[in-house]
Amino acid sequence: MENMIEFKNVHKWYGKLHVLNDINLEISRGEVLVICGPSGSGKSTLIRCINRLEEIQKGEIVVNNTPVHDKTVNLTRLREDIGFVFQQFHLYPHMTVLQNITLAPVNVKKMSRKKAEAIAMEKLEQVGLTDKSGAYPGQLSGGQQQRVAIARGLAMSPEIMLFDEPTSALDPEMIGEVLDVMVNLVSEGMTMCVVTHEMGFAKKVADRVVFMDEGKIVETGKPDEFFDNPKTERAESFISMILTH
Amino acid sequence: MMAFYFSRLMEIFPFFLKGLWMTVQIAFISLFTCTVLGFFLGIFRSGQNRFLKWFIGVYVSFVRGTPFVVQVFIIFFILPEWGIQLEAFPAALLAMAIMGSAFICEIVAGGISSIPKGQWEAAASSGLTMTQQLRLVILPQAMKVILPPLVGQYVLLIKDTSVVSVIGVMELTRVGWVTVVRIPEGLMVFSLVGILYFVISYPLILLSNYLERRMAV
Repeated sequence: MENMIEFKNVHKWYGKLHVLNDINLEISRGEVLVICGPSGSGKSTLIRCINRLEEIQKGEIVVNNTPVHDKTVNLTRLREDIGFVFQQFHLYPHMTVLQNITLAPVNVKKMSRKKAEAIAMEKLEQVGLTDKSGAYPGQLSGGQQQRVAIARGLAMSPEIMLFDEPTSALDPEMIGEVLDVMVNLVSEGMTMCVVTHEMGFAKKVADRVVFMDEGKIVETGKPDEFFDNPKTERAESFISMILTH
Repeated sequence: MMAFYFSRLMEIFPFFLKGLWMTVQIAFISLFTCTVLGFFLGIFRSGQNRFLKWFIGVYVSFVRGTPFVVQVFIIFFILPEWGIQLEAFPAALLAMAIMGSAFICEIVAGGISSIPKGQWEAAASSGLTMTQQLRLVILPQAMKVILPPLVGQYVLLIKDTSVVSVIGVMELTRVGWVTVVRIPEGLMVFSLVGILYFVISYPLILLSNYLERRMAV
């Protein structure tokens, strides 16, 4: 199958800390990849390299045939195709939900406001929040804010959606509503990379699970295999930890 | 005698109005140039370019660490040594621009850096250019932090225009000096000067207080 995202011998350092150590990873079109691992293992850094929120020092990253590591790459063009959802939502607090969602389509894609708003309402319907289009982020619950953030990403009609611990900042009763929206995306054939410890989500929709530790990919496998039968000791102790917590 | 001096003072009141007009000109031209320059410097001071950050930092420290009156003298007396002749009025405007922009730079940089990094990242991730991120996402939020101290700084700048009287610009304070030679009632003359300064700065003080209250919620 065609590769959508490709990491080739990628290294990254923060000063002396080797945060990404020889990462090799291929993600094909339409694949849903879950990345997990202990905190500080480099999983967030890994997906932040895909849209170049982080620079790498060595190796190659190719996304949708664009060489991301190339210093001359057009970042706007690259990022148009990649939606990014943050742990802390990062909605724009001075704008309404509708303005949050239409900002990039209007200013990056140069779409007319009317068309952008029509698309925004469509995406709000997809995340079940049409009634909140006029609200400000501060008036919404965490779960609602994260669903708006997902709609904001989708409004650019990206080919790839990246999720960086999308449910970690949420109260437990709101995790479900966000995961439901993400599960629906999977059925639309979106290429997705999700950093999460939500084992239920991984088992239900992920094609592959990547386990990272100390900047390295330690283990890769089908979700059922990985969670029920991890091959490495480190993965095993990690899984027992998230199960008992 | 008081009454006599008072009527003399009223006779030359138009002279005070001329001084006031000069003060207003220096003040408002300076507020404008200082704001434009200050935002420009402040944006780069909070930006990515290490050299620019350092350079603006040095500039700001130098301006903040020296008395304004000394800066005015430097510009008025030292520049001619290098062959740059400036009349008192443009020299005053230049000195004000250098001093005011440094202070406004710090206010703007402080406002911008008060916005969480995630706002930049969210805007960048959606494909907005650096300028769009700043204009559409960061500055509208930072303005809430910037505006109250900015207007407060305007009041200070208006009052600082009095310093340029030392190089002979016929503004309000200079008018006071000249008058007091002929009407030796210092308290009376400089009370009038004070009142006239107050007339232009008080509306800004009210605006500053209002903004402070409004932005707090």
